[in-house]
Parts: sequence; structure tokens; C-alpha cells
Amino acid sequence: MKKLTVILLVLAVVLVLGVSCGKKATTTTATTTTTAPAATTTTQAAAPAATTTTQAPAAQEPAAPAPTYTWNGAASTFPTNWNPHTYQTATDSDILDYMQAGFYTFDYNEDETGYKVVPQMATEEPIDVTDQYIGKFGLEEGAKNQAYIIKIRQDIKWDDGTPITAKDFVESEKRLMNPAAQNYRADNLYSGNMVIYNAKEYLYQGQSVKLDNGANNFYEIADLTAGENGQYYSAAGEPVFIGLDFPLAWTGGHTLADYVNAYGAAYFDVTNWAALVEKADEDGLIPLTEENLKLFTPVTTGNPNWGETAADIPNYLVYEATFQPLDWSEVGYQAVGDYEILIVLTKPLKGFYLLYALTGTDLVKIDLYDKCESVVDGVYTNTYGTSLETSASYGPYRLTGFQADKQYSYEKNPYYFGYNDGKDIYQTTNIVIDYVPEASTRLELFLQGKLDGYGLTVDDMEKYSKSDYCYYTPGDSTFFMAFNPDPEALVTMQQAAGANINKTVLTLLSFRQAMSFALNRADFCLATSPTNAPGFGLYSSLIISNPDEGTPYRSTDQAKDVLVNFWGLKDDIGPGKLYADKDEAIESITGYNLTKAQQLFDQAYDEAIAAGLLKDTDIVEIKIGTPNGTSKFYNNGYEYLVNCYTEAVKGTKFEGKLTFTRDDTLGNGFSDALKNNQVDMLFGVGWTGSTLDPYNLMEAYTDSNYQYNPCWDTTKEMLTINIKGTDYTASIKAWNNIMLGEVETITSGKGESIEYSCGDADEDPETRLNILAALEMAVLMTYEEIPIMDDASASLRGMQIHYYTEDYIFGMGRGGIKYYTYNYTDAEWDAYCASQNYNLQYN
Amino acid sequence: MVKYVIKRVLLMLLTFFIIMSGCFILIRLLPNVPAQQFGKDMNLVLQRRVRQGLVDMNGNPIPMIQQYWHFITRTLIGGDWGVSESLYIGQDCFSIFLSKLPATILLNVYAMVFSVPLGLLLGIYAALRKNRWQDHVISTGVMVFVSVPSYVYAFLVQYLLCYRLKLFPLVMNSGRDYFTWSMFHSMLPAILSLSFGSIAGFARYTRAELTEVLTSEYLLLARTKGLTKGQTTRRHALRNAMVVIFPMIIGEFIGIIGGSLIIENIFVVPGVGPLYVNSITALDYNFFMLLSGFYCLIGLASGILLDLSYSFIDPRIRIGSKANGKY
Repeated sequence: MKKLTVILLVLAVVLVLGVSCGKKATTTTATTTTTAPAATTTTQAAAPAATTTTQAPAAQEPAAPAPTYTWNGAASTFPTNWNPHTYQTATDSDILDYMQAGFYTFDYNEDETGYKVVPQMATEEPIDVTDQYIGKFGLEEGAKNQAYIIKIRQDIKWDDGTPITAKDFVESEKRLMNPAAQNYRADNLYSGNMVIYNAKEYLYQGQSVKLDNGANNFYEIADLTAGENGQYYSAAGEPVFIGLDFPLAWTGGHTLADYVNAYGAAYFDVTNWAALVEKADEDGLIPLTEENLKLFTPVTTGNPNWGETAADIPNYLVYEATFQPLDWSEVGYQAVGDYEILIVLTKPLKGFYLLYALTGTDLVKIDLYDKCESVVDGVYTNTYGTSLETSASYGPYRLTGFQADKQYSYEKNPYYFGYNDGKDIYQTTNIVIDYVPEASTRLELFLQGKLDGYGLTVDDMEKYSKSDYCYYTPGDSTFFMAFNPDPEALVTMQQAAGANINKTVLTLLSFRQAMSFALNRADFCLATSPTNAPGFGLYSSLIISNPDEGTPYRSTDQAKDVLVNFWGLKDDIGPGKLYADKDEAIESITGYNLTKAQQLFDQAYDEAIAAGLLKDTDIVEIKIGTPNGTSKFYNNGYEYLVNCYTEAVKGTKFEGKLTFTRDDTLGNGFSDALKNNQVDMLFGVGWTGSTLDPYNLMEAYTDSNYQYNPCWDTTKEMLTINIKGTDYTASIKAWNNIMLGEVETITSGKGESIEYSCGDADEDPETRLNILAALEMAVLMTYEEIPIMDDASASLRGMQIHYYTEDYIFGMGRGGIKYYTYNYTDAEWDAYCASQNYNLQYN
Repeated sequence: MVKYVIKRVLLMLLTFFIIMSGCFILIRLLPNVPAQQFGKDMNLVLQRRVRQGLVDMNGNPIPMIQQYWHFITRTLIGGDWGVSESLYIGQDCFSIFLSKLPATILLNVYAMVFSVPLGLLLGIYAALRKNRWQDHVISTGVMVFVSVPSYVYAFLVQYLLCYRLKLFPLVMNSGRDYFTWSMFHSMLPAILSLSFGSIAGFARYTRAELTEVLTSEYLLLARTKGLTKGQTTRRHALRNAMVVIFPMIIGEFIGIIGGSLIIENIFVVPGVGPLYVNSITALDYNFFMLLSGFYCLIGLASGILLDLSYSFIDPRIRIGSKANGKY
């Protein structure tokens, strides 16, 4: 016991002394951590010495090393697998960004106001050789834009100096499509725009796979024939099934059962559903037979709310394809020279979208890749791209350190071909990315000068939103306030809400307009998500309408006219008027006009009384739906809206008569609550994606499958658009279809009807843009989906670095690592931070 | 004694088996839908499900009992914990776990080494100065540190000591040079955060036990026999108090490991703590099973150690001896 006590006491003394020593040592060691990141995990011991010499300029040292410029970043999630063939997450692709190159890449256009796609590993644009390959790789006479030669540079090398030739690309793709591996990224070669001939057939050779008919061959029922067992077969002898509980592209990757279980009789005829489910196998399929088809058809076509017809049934079919053995020589991806690659596509592709599809590659270092292969219990595994040892780079930087859930680092790849492309680029010598999951810790590191950028959170905005170092990056989403103007649904809900409760006032355009003008969008953003920007149109400024030129839709005349007209500024533009031009007028839009809103509230009240929708004693009660009661965004948003409208109606006929309730139990599917008649209003709903295709995105507002409020029947709502000097009228839906390439009938004012389509961007882009703008205006004018905010994020730029462009440009950001320049070398930066006592002021 | 140890170890293994079986069944009852991605070829995600032992190569579900047998033979007996489902997709769980274990073990051992002597010293000092201002100060501090969860100290330590005073780095250094001063220095904020609660706990128990022993009659007898206060405290009081306190050290070790789940995340310690938390949020069930097994085994083994430790501390306790009417 005595010994134990003595030992414990000694240990305690040693530890206490240790801590004291640590405190004394911190004045020097604390400074070391700033330079340590640049030095990677193996060079930290040298950092203190480097720090102590930084007070004097490095240039004065007799044998000063070359200055280093380190980009220090922090990630809240950490990559675990950057095998180009199997990575799954955006975090995983982050680590690949610096190690890879594409055949083509984004770069600034000449005046640096937008982007252009330029060759990177390729030497020139793809050469169309379709004519030369007619009769081969499935190319038929008359085929266009389906076979290309890509010429690659002869100086591409791995980071160990090994040259890369066309054969490496082909071998890499062959391994990507390895049938034994079933790589996650294998569909790079057959999904999306660029479909390589026979790629999928090679991947699935020898296997029977159940395929979604809607996303693949799209067999019509008429194309199928019944077999002896009653089941239908395709002409190729493939058995066909109905997918009840099978993920389908038609149902957005969900299964039909997901929808039927969620909405039941409200949207489907469920009479036969139980009987069908009874027959389903473990994949959720039933054989397509005459009997099963009869049972199934009413499910999706029998309820007008789901709104489908028998023509849509093929989208629910699944067929079992059996793929024959195939040699790689039959796949449309071949080396036709040491530095020439032939790609053959199953469908035409050209222009921007072809180059865009070729901005990435699946190149792997074959010898290393093969060493990483293993097969355990018949299951193929490959550990390529999971550690420093299993990584190889051919991009501007090479990996020099990787510690899981801690840090990864790069240095310049001495064998990269693109450092001297005639521009002063790639000043960054090292990149260090630390894993720091806590935002507060990231901010503290940033303020100490140990990070070169920090993504602001909502809580930081009050302090840093006005900072000179604060940059806003627009997103592609616009968020809306959506109303339920369906008279029948509102009457039902009104009756259920009790006596003297009114909801039908929402059917009045003037009331919804008043709601729009009474909302101060800037204040709403501050209250809910301060990084977001007020939204005034259907599309944010990031949406590109002409990908070839990189033209943002909002910068086009057509889109500017939409904003100017919708917000009533048309008559205020011109010489001697309030605004000199459209840009100035648009700049002035706030969306907030309380006086106008109050006039509209009074007008709506009178209209409602006159139409018998409202009684003097009624209270308007609007039920707002939110996914939960815990989200700060929705809690603050609800509170803001209630206060905003309660104040706005003061002094109007609605004073004291406009109330709000909330359903905060709707969960993630809350955006469907409007169409399910669960609530009267939603906010914070919107669509993301389609940055490069606003034409397709318009379907979200005009197609009942996507509309938040499907009671706006776009097949009956007519719209007149001027086509080459003549006004033509068609339904909103028809115009939308025309814009997407379908042929529809449009009628002129003189009653002449023509068949018209305008889907090819190359043929008549101006008219296509006119249609898009007209549709945007039509949607906005319903005031059923009112834009309130555009998605954006905010970040702080570190003082050490300088962005190439102040504006965020799609595809280029603000220059990225390629164009960033540095205001200090690492040593100077460390000295500067030390002089500021590691407490930098960014606010 | 040997028989007792063997018996306890066997019982421990049985308990471990039952707990892991329970975890297995509960996990299999949870939804386990492969990640869906719009437009993604769903057949390509089959691979992962095969490795998970849920479906065969043709995608047909494997019966639960077969999966359970697979789990017993391959995992519990064979030691193959499978591959990661979502965190380290396709990589061997056990290898990842092993690569992260040193940081966690080191952090917790440092925290123990730090907190045991300090806790005992404070407790002894408070007991010897009972009801004086020193005792009141220590007891107040103890109550504060016992009441507040360790992650709260962690943020305070990080903000005050690391950010404001700049005594330590904000996060642990990268690298695997765990036994350098630089690394130890960067780990100190995490060690301190883990230790505060333990120090307070040890001090509280030591004070309480020692106070009780110091007021017992046999100590009075020892003093009347001529021993000084220091001699009676060291030779009699502390030794008897340790019978209760020493096993607590082992118990506290488990508590520290539990606490480090969050602390490791805050100070970016590349250990198994965040892995366990992330395995739950990312539905990475193989990792969850492995780490549940790890923490479960540590808890069970500590229980045995704790029981055995009694006999070392107090020779009067004879573990495993059959009662024969004599003591």
C-alpha cells in the first residue's frame, strides 16, 4: 500500500509538472501548428524551426528554400474511398478533384464573365467520324454525331513518371465495366447523355437482370406477345413483369407500392391492390399476363388524382434481360492509336453536352489497380483509392499524406502536363485538408489563420455578413410560398375547421397578390436563412439557359422582361424615367410594397364578400405545413410569416380576421401536403438540379405530377406566344411540350393551326427562350407559387489568398485552386498571424 | 481462484454472445434498404448487399436463421466482421477499427493516468481537511464537475484554453507519432476534458470513504497505541478506503471510454469513438456490430477485473472459495 501511494504521488507530481512545462512551451509550440499543416504529417518536427525564422523575410536568408503557398481547408465529412470506379459520395469525389484531369475542362471565357469548355487531356475537340464507322458498332446508314475520335496529349504521365497512352484509358474503362466487379460507377458509360455502344451489355454479360422498362427499352404493350404460360414476352424473348414494389425511374426511384401505401385511395384505385400484392415475388414483381394487366390498370388509371392513362402503363413494366457473352472489342470504346481514342455512342450527342460528358474520366493506374483486386467468397473487391499507397495521380497535385478521419494533403505533381499552359496558374504548392466536423472549431481555426476559407453558418451571419471577406455563392434552387387555391378542397377544409372559419379567400388572385407584396423577402431571409438571397423569379441567377455559351437565363433579355413585367416596372424604364434600363429596374426589386398589399387586401375582402365567399363575421384561418417543429428555419419562418401578415392587415378590412395555424407533423414529404389537401399553404418548398436545363425544369411547374398545387390545369390554361411575328395560342402544357421537343398543334389568331416543335436548342434557341420566358411569366402570374428566396451559401475568404474573380461563375467558381493567388507565402503568413496573436479580424 | 476466473470468463463469453445475438436480431429488424440514387443502375448496389450477407449473388434474400448462422460462424467465431456498408464502403471493418484503436486507447489511458492520482490526492486532502475551507472548495468543485457532462467541459476547454489563451492546438495533431511531446501536447485538451469528471468522481469517493474510515474506532485505537495521524492515515485508513475506491478506477475507465465518444469528435481524435457514433447515423451495421462488441467486451472484462481486484486489495476477501463455515 505504501508503495502504491508513493507511485501515485510520483505520477501526480510528474503530470502536474508536465502540464506546467506544457504551458511554458506553448508560446513556441502554438505557433508551430500554423506551419505544420503545410508540412504534412511527417514534417511537423521541422515546423518550429521554420516558425522562429519567419520574422525575417525569407529572401534575406542565404539559402532560402523556395516559398510555399499552402491552401489549408477543412472538411466536415471525410473521404473514405476515391477509387474512380466505386466512389459514391461528393466527399469522396473531393479528394479526386486535384488528382485527376478530364479530356475537357471548364475555363473562363475570353472576357471572364462566364465559362467555356476547353481541351485538357485532349488536344482538340472530338472529331466526328460517324461516317467512317457506318456498319460497325451498331451504326446504321444516316447516323450522325455518334462516333468520335478523341486525340489526347502525348505528355500525360502518372505521378511516378509513367506515361499514359490511349490504351490506359481503354483498359481503365474495361476494368470499370468488369462484370465480376459490378462497379458502382459502371453506369458512367451507359446512363445519362453519353451511352457507349455495348457498354451495358458487356457489364451484364452472362447475367439475367431485371430492368426498368421505362428507363431502358420502353416496350409498348402492343410490342409484347403472350407465351404459353400466359406471361408476356418481348420480341427478344425477355419475360415481362409489372413492378409493384420495384424501384422505377417513372416514380422517381421509388416504387409504386411506396406511393400506394402513402396515399391509398386518395390517389389510386386500390380495389385490386391487395390481390396484386398477394401475387408479388420477393422483388415486388408480378408476371405481366392478361389477367394481371386487367387487375393492375385501374390502380394507376382509375383515380383522376393520379391522372394517368393506359399509355403510361409501360412505365410500370420490368423485363428480365439475359445478356450474352461479349468481347471488349465489340464495345464502343477503343484505342485506335497510341494517342487516339474512339468512342461510339448509341444515341447522338454533340456540342456542349458531349464535351461536358467528357470532363471526367475513369482512368486508373492499371498495375496498381490490379494489385488491389481480390475475390472473397466469390465477391470481387478492390481497394484501389483507399489509402496513400493505393492512390495514383495524373492531375495537378499528388497525394502525399492520408490519415483516415484526420487529414489528407497534396503537393504539386511534378509530372503534370498543364502547369505551363501560357497562364500564371497553380501558384498553390501544397494543399492540406483537415477533418473538422464542428463548425465552431472550423471558425476558430479560421480566425487563427489556420484555414483559408470558412463556410458561414446561420449563426455566424450577424457578425460576418457585412465583412469585406464574405462571399455569397448562388445555388440553383428557388424556394417558394405555395398556396392551395382549389375551391372544392378549401370548402371541405373550411367546413372541417369549424363555424365562421374561412379558407376560400385563398382562391382570390388579389388575396394571393396581397400576400406576395406584404412579404419583405430580405427580412424573411434574415429571419430564416441569412445566407439565402431574396427570390423574385422562378429561376435563380445560377441557372444556365445556353450551356454552349454559358449564358445565365436571368441575364437574357427575355428573362429580364419577365421580372420587369411581373413586378410592374415596365413603364418606369427609359430616358427620363425612374430607371435608366432593365438592369437598374431589376436591381431595385424588393418584392415588398406594403401600401399596395393593403390595397389588395381590401380589394380581396370586397371581392370575397361580393362573391359570397366570406361573411363579415368570418375569420380567415390559413393552415401552414412544415415538416417538423424542431427546424429553426421553419420555426423562425412560421413566426415571421404570422407576425408579418398580422401587421400587414392592420388598417385593412382583414384586421383581426387573418389567423394562422400550423401542422408541424408532416415529415420529409411535407411538400405533398398541399396536393393532399392537408394544409392551405407551404413555404420553403422548391426544386433543385437542372442547372443547365431550365427547359426541363419548367415541367416542375406545369406538370401535375410535380406541381405543388395540381389544381392548376395546364392542359386547359391557354397562352399566346409570338412565333416569328405571328401570335399563336396553345395550352401551357402544350407550349411546355413544344419546348421539350414534342410536336403540338398551335393556333394563330386567324384560326390557322400548325404542328410545331422547338426542342432543338441549335435550330431556334431564341424562340425556345421566348417560350421559356412566357411560361415563367404564366406560372408567376398565378400567384400560386410565389418565389421568396434563392438558395445561396456564404463563406469567408482567408486573407492569405486572393480569388481570381469576385463573381461566382458556374463551372469555375471564383477561380479554384488553379487560379487562386496568394498575398503571403506560408512563412510570411505565419509571421503575420503571429503578429496578430493568432486572432485575425474578419468582421 | 483459477477455477473462478475460468468460470467468470466463460460466463462473460456467454453474456457477450447473448448481447451480440440480441444486437444482431434488432439490427436485422431495422430497415436496410440499399442507397437509392435517381437514375442510378440499381443492380450495381447489389454487390454491397451480398457482402452484407443479406442477399445471395442473385439478389435473393437470405433467410434470417441462415444469416444468424453466418454471423456466428464467420463473425463471432471466425472474427470476420465484414466490410463497411456506408462509411468505408467495401473496406474491411476490423482493419479500419484496428487502425483507429491506438488513438482511443492512448487518449483514455492518458486520461486515467491523469485523473486517478489527482482525484485521489484531492479526495485525501479534502478528507484530512474535512469541514475546513479547503474541503469546501474541493467539494464545491467536485459537485460542479460531477454534475456537468464532459462534452460541456470540452467546448469550454477548447474555447478558453485553446482559442482564447492559445495554450494548446484547437484539434489533435495529425500523424501517428503518438509518443512525441507535440502529439501529447495536442491531446491534452481532450485528456483534460475527459479527466475533469473522473477527477471529481475519485475525489468525492475518496473523501467520503476516507472520512468514514478516519472516524472509525480502530483508528482511534491505533492513535492511542502511539501512531501519528499520518501513520494511521497511510497504514490503516487509506488501505481500508482503497477497498472501495480501487475497483471504482476500473469502472471509471469504462465511463471515460464512453465519454470519449463525443470528446474524440470535438477534438478530432481519429479514434473509434466517432466511428461508433457515425456507424449509427450512417446505418453502417457491420461497424455498429463490431464496435458494440468492442464496448460490450470491455465492459464485461472490466467487471471480471473489478471482482478480482477485491482480493488483491483486501486479502480477507477470498473470491471463488467455497464457504465452509470459516472466514
